[in-house]
Amino acid sequence: MKILLKAFLLTAPINFAYAAEGQKSAGLPQMDISTFPSQLFWLVITFSLLYLFMWKFVIPKLGATIEERRDKISNDINDADNLNTEATDILKKYDEQMASASQESNEIITNSKKAMLDHLETLKKENEEKVNSLISESQAKIKAQEEKSKIEIRNATLDTVKAIVSRYIENIPSDEEINKKLN
Amino acid sequence: MAADNPIDPIHQFEISKIADIQLGGIDISFTNSSLFMVFALAATMALFVIGLSKKSIIPNRMQMLSELSYNFIANMLRDQVGDQGRAYFPFIFSLFMFIFFCNFIGLIPYTFTVTSHLIVTFAFAGLIFIAVTIIGFVKNGLGYLRIFYPSGIPIFLAPLIVPIEIISYLSKPISLSVRLCANMLAGHSILKIFAGFIVMLGFLGFAPLVFLVVLYALETLIAALQAYIFTILTCIYLNDALHPDH
Repeated sequence: MKILLKAFLLTAPINFAYAAEGQKSAGLPQMDISTFPSQLFWLVITFSLLYLFMWKFVIPKLGATIEERRDKISNDINDADNLNTEATDILKKYDEQMASASQESNEIITNSKKAMLDHLETLKKENEEKVNSLISESQAKIKAQEEKSKIEIRNATLDTVKAIVSRYIENIPSDEEINKKLN
Repeated sequence: MAADNPIDPIHQFEISKIADIQLGGIDISFTNSSLFMVFALAATMALFVIGLSKKSIIPNRMQMLSELSYNFIANMLRDQVGDQGRAYFPFIFSLFMFIFFCNFIGLIPYTFTVTSHLIVTFAFAGLIFIAVTIIGFVKNGLGYLRIFYPSGIPIFLAPLIVPIEIISYLSKPISLSVRLCANMLAGHSILKIFAGFIVMLGFLGFAPLVFLVVLYALETLIAALQAYIFTILTCIYLNDALHPDH
């Protein structure tokens, strides 16, 4: 801006020289002193009116409008700031609640897992006991059956032997004798 | 006679009476100059009356324009003078709007440019000079004389510096008024001369026509710029009066 100003300050004399030349050739109306009072008089009147108009009407009204707008804008910015902090608070609260809720659910999950495992363990134990008792029971049954069938086989063998022997010889051996031989 | 020549570039600056008014032997006739002063006043009033008729938070175009000009001058004054300049804002604002509209109305063909008359610009510059000097002495007392002897200058240079500063101070109103008046005078004369060339050259007139269009754009710029320069220099002089130490 200063450079511009300087440029104009420097060119002003040239422009003025031009004007002065014009004055010599044609007699500039600018130099006609008789028109000065009229120009000054009307300048004072019009400029005073303009000054009054600006001073009393334009500046207060425009200033008020601009002030009002500035207030409105700063108020709006304040409101926005308040809302923003409110929203941040809510977000914070939400995050906190989310964190506590997830912690709770984690706890619930671990607890139920543990309970489930315990339950499973007891069930297993019970079943094992049942199965074991069943196995031993059936083993005992099998053993008894074995004993029984052994005796039955022996008796049957005895009878068979007696029958066969009685066919070939008169003398029928006693049971004790046969038993001795069988063993 | 110059007035008889239709393409005399000086003819546009002539003052012609519209209503002859005499007051105590002094001629204060309403002339074309007065008429265009009234036009400038009316244009400014129209701008602000329309601009402010429906003031709203979100401005329309005319309100925008009036607020832009207000902020432009208010910022200029604040930048140059600071908060102490507030009291002079109505004057600076009026000054800018008046010169601005005088310059611009003068660009319309067949109109009269109020600011092309040295007496008008000198009236403003003289008023500003006297006011600034009074403000300087009222605000600073005799301390205002310091502006003629800037601080940091060796005392033996004082006999040289002080007269130069006094002369430059006294020449302020002359340079201020002559700059505006001469710019308007020269610009409008050249426009008129080239417009005359178009008529004289007939078919070949398109060459000066092209030049005239460019020149007219330049003159539009100058009209705004000179109003700006006149106003900002007023602010600078005012700042010197309020803060003579700087």
